[in-house]
Amino acid sequence: MIRELGALTRRELKRLARNPQAIATSLMIPILYLLLFGQAFDIGAAFPNTPAGHAELLVTLRGAPTYFSYFSAGMVGFVAVTATLFVGANVIFDRLFGVLKRTAASPATATSIFGARLLAGMLQPVGLAFLVLGLAVLVGHLGLSGLQITASFSIIGIGEIVLAILILSAMFASLFLAIGFSIEQPQSYFAVVNAINLPVLLTSAALFPWGLMPAWFKDVASYNPITLAVSVIRENLFAGASGYYPYGPAIYLGGLAAWAIAMFILATFLARRALAPRA
Amino acid sequence: MADPVLAQNLEKVYKGNVHAVNGVDIQVHEGELYGFLGPNGAGKTTTVQMLTGNLRITKGTATVAGLDVAKNPLKVKERIGLVFQEGTADPDLTGRENLELAAALFRVPLRETKSTINGLLERLQIADAAERLVKTYSGGMRRRLELAVGIIHSPSVLFLDEPTLGLDPQGRAGFWKYVLQLRTDRKMTVFVTTHYLDEADEMCDRISIIDHGKIVATGTPSELKDKLGGDIVTVRPVSKTGPEVETLLRGLPGVTAVTMADGAFRVKVQKGEELIPHLVDACTRAGVALAGVSLKRPSLDEVFLEFTGREFREDEGMNATDRAVRMGQVQQAFGRARR
Repeated sequence: MIRELGALTRRELKRLARNPQAIATSLMIPILYLLLFGQAFDIGAAFPNTPAGHAELLVTLRGAPTYFSYFSAGMVGFVAVTATLFVGANVIFDRLFGVLKRTAASPATATSIFGARLLAGMLQPVGLAFLVLGLAVLVGHLGLSGLQITASFSIIGIGEIVLAILILSAMFASLFLAIGFSIEQPQSYFAVVNAINLPVLLTSAALFPWGLMPAWFKDVASYNPITLAVSVIRENLFAGASGYYPYGPAIYLGGLAAWAIAMFILATFLARRALAPRA
Repeated sequence: MADPVLAQNLEKVYKGNVHAVNGVDIQVHEGELYGFLGPNGAGKTTTVQMLTGNLRITKGTATVAGLDVAKNPLKVKERIGLVFQEGTADPDLTGRENLELAAALFRVPLRETKSTINGLLERLQIADAAERLVKTYSGGMRRRLELAVGIIHSPSVLFLDEPTLGLDPQGRAGFWKYVLQLRTDRKMTVFVTTHYLDEADEMCDRISIIDHGKIVATGTPSELKDKLGGDIVTVRPVSKTGPEVETLLRGLPGVTAVTMADGAFRVKVQKGEELIPHLVDACTRAGVALAGVSLKRPSLDEVFLEFTGREFREDEGMNATDRAVRMGQVQQAFGRARR
């Protein structure tokens, strides 16, 4: 089982690596948002340039020194959504090209076939997330607003960020795989996925400054998986940010894991049903 | 030794009580090249899908490679090879990568993987294209790669589902050359579905003809053709097709049977070329104007016509599954309309 899982995962990663358009599309929206929204909404200018003003800005942005820094952390999390989208789409294309039929006709178990896609879906976004992170820092050196990492370097901190991206990716990869195993037409898949992506992003704390959200919005955003992952990222990127969050990264990672497990259960059920001998 | 493929009273019923396969019995002997013949939509692919553990059996039993398919679908898949009628190789991987993946999935021992793949690439003449992405392959190369994937684990039984569909005559001949070589070398039992009658006639040891989900005849190609009882002379009168013409034809020397199909009489006779002068003469004398007379030696087309009462047609479009699903949908729609 380990051999077939490894072989199928390698195949998924090779396909993703050989599809530069998919990688470009995964990065396009977060980067576009970074360069447009992130630069345009410099809400720091609306706060008085006084110690009190700075303190208020820090509360509003939960410890991030600038809106762009706050927003960049959000986009690092959002990459997990845009990059995992293709994992589900590949199920549909594999069905159309007969590849899924071939795999299902082999002695490979449904667990391996599903697990390989999930693993590939978890691994790819990590690299892309750090690419977005690097780009967000880089634009600061090009005369624009850039990501200012104010926390000191910590292996545990980086580990928590990687873990947050991995779990968030696992959650969305499971969700998109669940949709991919249930829907046959690519058009329908992308319609459903788009109907999910934007509301999930817009109800999270990836874009909107926490301190400016109405209370009801905060309640909704608190349970949003992107918010949970982004909270872990922000707590580790910005010095003193932990003081603005009610919980430490472990709690947010736990909440994120609960989301991921729920989606995993749904996706494995649908994948097993799709890969079982047809009725 | 037990027969590698044995099915009894096999049935597949889809929603709407549509019988795609209806009480099929199959017995394939070890080492045999067995042809499963029928037009599109007859139930060939549905049968193969059931025998290979990819489609649930509604009723009946199937034992393949010594295992009950319904109880051990994964074990059966380990022991058999399956080449689908459509391409299933990953177009974004190279030929070699596709084979490496197949070797892992079919549990080819690691130490044998490289030599097995190299051997197959050489044997099937795709070694030069092994490092190219499959999406750049020609149709013939893709079919050979499909065959390589199907036999990578040296299965005891190989199922070929319409393996030469869409290939030109040269491609078909090439594909069969490899199958026959492999069958000899590896002593595999081969179960092939096809709607190319000439292919089945030439290649298969034994054939079953399936139509509308039921097997209508089984035997060697010679046995089936012998059942026709000789040549077939097709007589197409200009206008008269009544019983008087049939009586006239029955009275000719050597005629053993006369049947009517599609506005023409099919006259069975041992030596057709000797009958034709008598037939034309008799018709002229009786005032029966002829639009055409043709002679056919016994062929599987004629066998099919004999056992099903209709011409073999290769262009019926939908396979049995599609047809059954479509019929189910139509029946459901009617059901809704009635409610």
